[in-house]
Amino acid sequence: MTAGELSEHFPVSKPTMSAHFNVLREADLVDAYKQGTTITYRLKLSVLEDALLGFARTFGFGSLHNSAEADPVSAPRKEPTR
Amino acid sequence: MIVKPLGFALGLAAVFLAVAAGLRFAAAEGMVADDIVRRAVQALIGLGLAAWANFMPKQLGRPRKSAGAETRSQAALRVAGWSMTLAGLAYAGFWAFAPLPFADTVSMVPVAVAMVLTLGYAIWCFAACRRGAPAGN
Repeated sequence: MTAGELSEHFPVSKPTMSAHFNVLREADLVDAYKQGTTITYRLKLSVLEDALLGFARTFGFGSLHNSAEADPVSAPRKEPTR
Repeated sequence: MIVKPLGFALGLAAVFLAVAAGLRFAAAEGMVADDIVRRAVQALIGLGLAAWANFMPKQLGRPRKSAGAETRSQAALRVAGWSMTLAGLAYAGFWAFAPLPFADTVSMVPVAVAMVLTLGYAIWCFAACRRGAPAGN
């Protein structure tokens, strides 16, 4: 997905998303491919990371209690900082 | 680009050779039994396979032209990574805990199944891309 498409699904500004992407890229958890002005991000998980994510989801570690946080698409979107 | 996985593979091979040589030396000196050496080396090979396959889904390469081809490519890598990792762990488990004659015969079964699954799924994904079928079918 492109950075723009991804940011539509989260209630944070695009610069904030960009900072998060940089952290994920440095952790080697996402792959960023730049083509012109578009950056496409791809999830990049090892088997162990994938298994830990599945384990965390199954047992509810890191689950969000706030319904607005749990459903970022329907949550109100924060305006970009200027 | 290729230096990192190559370095990892060479490091893994160096660990295998060093451990095998060390155990062989220990067996020659009478410090460990021959069957322990065999078990340890084979279990190490299984763990090495699991460690190497663990990183397979991270080798994404260049993005594909269509979203469908990209989805299938990543799915094939994940299936390959998961199946070979589990096969490596099963191989190591058989050699570590099963009786030797049993481990000798049965340990290759999970690896063979994983290889067939990996190749079969990759071929199926490639054929689906050629047909132009939407991802998920």
